[in-house]
Amino acid sequence: MNLTGTTPRLRRRTVLGAVGLAALLTAAPALAQDLSGELVILQWQGGTDAEMWQKLEADFAAKNPGVTVRELVVTGQGDMRGPMRTALLGGEKVDIIINTWPAFRAELADAGILRPVDDLWGAANLDAALDASWRELGSTNGVTYGVPYTYGDRSAIWYKTAHLEKAGIEPPQTWDEFLASIDKLKAAGYAAPIAMPAKYWAHGEWFETLLLRIGGVEAAARLAAHEIPWTDEVVKTTLRKYAELLNAGCCGTPEQMFAGDWDYSADQIFTADASNYLMIGMWMNARARNDYKLNEGVDYSIFQFPAMGLGHDDTASVDAKEISVTTNGNNPAAADAFAVYMVSKDAADILASYGYASPSKNADPSLLGPVQQVATAAVAQSKVQFVLGDLLPGDVVDEYRVQLQKFLQDPSDATIDAVTAAIEAKAQEVY
Amino acid sequence: MQESVARQAAGSRSDVSPKSRGERLFAAGWRTRDWPAAWLLLAPVLVLFGIAVVFPLVDTIRLSFFDTRGLSKPKFIGLGNYVKLFTDPAFRDTLVTTLIFTLSTTIVSVGIGWMLAMLSAFAPRQTLPFRVMIFAAFGISEAVAGYMWIGILRPDAGGLLNAVIGIFQPGFAQPWLGDPRTALGAVIVAAAWGGVGLPLMLCFASVQAIPKSLFEAAYIDGASHWQVLRSIMMPLSLPGVRVAVFINLLGALRAFDIIYILTGGGPVRSTETVGYFMYRESMTQFKLGYGAAATVVLLVAVLIVSVPAIIQRTAGAR
Amino acid sequence: MIGRAPRWPIVILGIVAVIWVIPIIGIVMTSIRPLAETSRGWWRIDSFTLTLSAWERVWETWPLAPAFVTTAVLAVIATVGTMLLTPAAAYAFHFLRFPFRRLLLIIIINAFVLPQQVVIIPLFQLWRDLGLIDNFLAVLIPYVGLSFAWSIFLVKNFLEDFPAEVVEASRIDGAGPLQTFWHIVLPNSLSPVFATGILQFLWTWNALLLPLLYLRTNVPLPVILARINGTYELNWDMQSVAAIITTVVPLLVFLVFQRQFAAGAETRSGAKD
Repeated sequence: MNLTGTTPRLRRRTVLGAVGLAALLTAAPALAQDLSGELVILQWQGGTDAEMWQKLEADFAAKNPGVTVRELVVTGQGDMRGPMRTALLGGEKVDIIINTWPAFRAELADAGILRPVDDLWGAANLDAALDASWRELGSTNGVTYGVPYTYGDRSAIWYKTAHLEKAGIEPPQTWDEFLASIDKLKAAGYAAPIAMPAKYWAHGEWFETLLLRIGGVEAAARLAAHEIPWTDEVVKTTLRKYAELLNAGCCGTPEQMFAGDWDYSADQIFTADASNYLMIGMWMNARARNDYKLNEGVDYSIFQFPAMGLGHDDTASVDAKEISVTTNGNNPAAADAFAVYMVSKDAADILASYGYASPSKNADPSLLGPVQQVATAAVAQSKVQFVLGDLLPGDVVDEYRVQLQKFLQDPSDATIDAVTAAIEAKAQEVY
Repeated sequence: MQESVARQAAGSRSDVSPKSRGERLFAAGWRTRDWPAAWLLLAPVLVLFGIAVVFPLVDTIRLSFFDTRGLSKPKFIGLGNYVKLFTDPAFRDTLVTTLIFTLSTTIVSVGIGWMLAMLSAFAPRQTLPFRVMIFAAFGISEAVAGYMWIGILRPDAGGLLNAVIGIFQPGFAQPWLGDPRTALGAVIVAAAWGGVGLPLMLCFASVQAIPKSLFEAAYIDGASHWQVLRSIMMPLSLPGVRVAVFINLLGALRAFDIIYILTGGGPVRSTETVGYFMYRESMTQFKLGYGAAATVVLLVAVLIVSVPAIIQRTAGAR
Repeated sequence: MIGRAPRWPIVILGIVAVIWVIPIIGIVMTSIRPLAETSRGWWRIDSFTLTLSAWERVWETWPLAPAFVTTAVLAVIATVGTMLLTPAAAYAFHFLRFPFRRLLLIIIINAFVLPQQVVIIPLFQLWRDLGLIDNFLAVLIPYVGLSFAWSIFLVKNFLEDFPAEVVEASRIDGAGPLQTFWHIVLPNSLSPVFATGILQFLWTWNALLLPLLYLRTNVPLPVILARINGTYELNWDMQSVAAIITTVVPLLVFLVFQRQFAAGAETRSGAKD
C-alpha cells in the first residue's frame, strides 16, 4: 500500500487503525460482536431450504451487526456438485461451503480449498455441542473439515397407518417379523407391499442399511475407502439378505421398480393406496404434510429398520449437511463464527421449525414433530454412518447403482457374483 | 407437364449445368473484388464465433489430453482418455443407442413435420392455430415436457396411455419407462413429439416460398391436390427439410434433459446416449478431460460425414 | 392457397394438433389444481378442484417483473444480432469467392455438434479475467456466436434457390457485392431470416445454462424459475406455472414472425418474369 501521498498525521492514524483492526480480528471468534465485512456463502439449495437459510442468515446478521451475509447462488438440476465445481473452478471466492457429500469434502480438501476446523473445535469448545461421532462424520483422514448442523435418518421405513391396521399388524421390530408382515400385507390385497424406486438411486437405501446391520459402520467405512473389495463376503451376504425380500415377492416386477423415482413410490403408498412400505429420507415428511395434507404421526409414521440379530443393530445410516470454511475466503473470522452459530440453540430452533433435526446438544427435540422424534430417538441410540452413495467417488456410485438394478432383475447367487465383480472392476480403475 | 414446371423453377439451382454465358461472366466479374466485401460481411460473425466457439473448442481439445478428477489438478496423460473411451463398454453401448435414438427421432419428427407443413400450405390461414399448438410443443422446456410424459407413461393402470389401451384390454399396465425393452421407444416418442414443431415451421416457410405461378399453372392443367403436393411441394421444399434434418439430428445428439427426466439413462443404461454420457462425465462427474475426449470423438465422427457433403454442395456454387 | 381451401388438410391438422396438445393440457392442469390431485395423474377428474394457489405463490415469491424485462432485453438483442449478421455471412458464403471459404463453412457448421457444456467453463474464466461477469455481454456474445452454427446453414440453404440471374443482372448493372446484398438478396430472403429470428428468440428466451453462471444481479426468467424446486421438493404445480409463463412470449413471437413466411411468395413470382 502506497502511503507516500498522505500527510504524516494521516499515516499514523491509518497505521494505528490497521493495528487495532488486526488485533480485533485475531481475537475472533470469541468476540462475535466485533466481526465485520461480508460473509459469502455458496448456496445451492432451493425451495423451502433456501427460505430457511434466509432466516438463518438474518438471525446471524442480527447477532453480528457488522457483518453482511451474501449468498453466491448456484442452481442446477440433480447433482449440485457440478455447478458448485464450475463456480469454484472459475475462481469464485466464498467463505462458507454447505456440504452434504463426504466424497466432495475429500475432493475439496485435496484441492486445498477447505480449512481444517480442528483448531476452531477447540477454541469454540464445540465438543459441548457435538458428540465425537458427529465430529467423525465431518472428518476426512482424521482431519475435521465440517461442522455438521443437520442430519436425516436414512434407516427409517415409512408407512400409512390405515394399511397396517387393515392387515392387522404392528410395525415390525425384527427381520423375521418384517418378512412375515410382507406376507400379511399381500394377503390383505396389496400386490407389492414395498414400493421400490429403482429409477435413479433409492434402491440403494435398502442395501446400505442392510450392510450396516450385517457388517457394522466399519464395514461401510472400509468399503468406501476401498480397504475391502466389493467382492468381499460382507457385501455378498448383504445382497443375499436383500434377495430374501425380493424372493418374498415384496416389490412387483423389476420393470415396475425401474419405472419410478421416490416421489412416484410415495404416491403409490399415500394417494393410490397400492403399496405400503417406503425406505426414504426424512424429506418425505414435508411431502406428506404439504403435498398430501396428511397428519404427521396419525395418518402416517415411520419405524426404524428392523433388527437382524447379527450384532450390529445399533447402527443407522444418515445423511448430514455440514458447514465448511474455505482457505481463500475473505472473511475467515466471520466464517468461523457462522460455523459455531449453526450449532447454537437459536439456529437449531429455526431448523426445527422447518422440520430438520440438529445433532447439536443445544437442540430441543421436543420441537420436532412426532415422526421426526421417532427418528431422532433411534439415531441417538445408534452408531451413525453416512449414506454410502455420498461416501463413494462419482464413477463408482454410478456403477454401483446400475449394477444394483441388474441385481434387482435377477437376485440369484450368480448375479450377485457378477454384479459385485463389476463394481469391483470399476473401483479398481478409480482408486 | 408438371415436370417442365418443376424444372423451370429448378433452373436456378446449382446442380444444373453452370456453364451458361451469363454465369461465366458473373463468376469472372466479381472474383477479383470479392474478398474485401466478403471479409466485411463476415468480420463480425468471425469475431463472435471465434470467441464463443473456437476458443472453448481449442481449450476442450487441450483438456482431452488431461486426466481431471473434480477439482484436483489435471494430469497430462496424452491419449489416455481416448484409449479409455474406446475400451469402455459403457461408451460402446451408448453408440448403438445413440444411433437408434438420433435416427428415429429425426426421421419421425421431420417426416411428420414435413407432411403437416405441406398439408397446412393448402389452407394456411385456417390451419394457423393448429400450427401454433404443435409449435408450442417445441417451445416448452425439455424438463417440463419430460414430466408431462412421465404422467402419460405411468406404469400403473392409471397412466394415460395405459388407461387408453385399457379401454380395449382391461387392466393393461405396462411400465413403459421401466421396461428395458420399451424404455428407448418411449423416450423416442417423447423426444419426437417435441421435435415436430421445428420441421413444421421450416418446411412450411419453404413451401410458402414457392412461387404462386407454379401452383396456378398446375391447377390450370388439372392437377389434383395430391399431385401438386408430390411434384411441386415436396421437391421444392427440400431446403427446409435439409435444415430441419440438420438441426434435429444434431439436437438429438446433444439431448440430455429429456432423457434424464424420463429414465435417467436407464433402466440398466438402455437409454444412455452419447450426449447423455458426455453431460454426465463432464458436468456431473466433472471428469472434464474424459468428457472433452468424448466431445472430440463425436466432433470427428460428425466431420467425417459432413465434410464430403459440404464440399460436394459448395462445389457447384458461384 | 389457390381458390377455395380444401377441407381435408384442415381436419387432419386439427386432429394432429389436438393429440399434440395433450401433454400441454397436462401442464395447464398441473398448474391450476392442487398437487395431491395431480400426483395421481393430471387427467383424472374424479376429484377436481381449481386453485390459483400455485400462480399466487410463484408471483409472490419470485421477482418476475424485472426478470421478464431482463429476459426480453437479452432475447431481443441476441435475436436482432443474429438476424442481421447471419444473412450477410450466408450471402458471402454462397455468392462470393474468397480464400478459405469452404474451410470456414465446415468449421462453422460443425460447431453445432458442440454441447453448451464445452463452452461454459473456458468462457467463464475468460469473462472473469476481462471483468465481464454479471455483464450482459457475457451471455450475448455466446448467444450470437453459437447461433451461427445453425443459422448460417439455414439461410444459406434457402439462398441456394435464389435465382442467380437476378444477382447477375445486378452485377451487370454495376452494383458491387455489398449493394447487391443489401438491395436485392436481403429483401427477398426475409422468410429464412425470420425463421432464424423465431428460433433464436425461442432459444435465447429459454436459455438457462449460460445466464446461470455468468449473470448475478439481473437474471432472466429461467434462472429465477430454476430455483423453484428444492433438492427433494419437486413443486410440480409451481414448475408448471413457470413453464407456462416462460413459453407464452416465444409463442407470440412465433405468431407475429410467421406471417413473414407467406410474404416471400407474393413478391417472388418466379424466374421468368
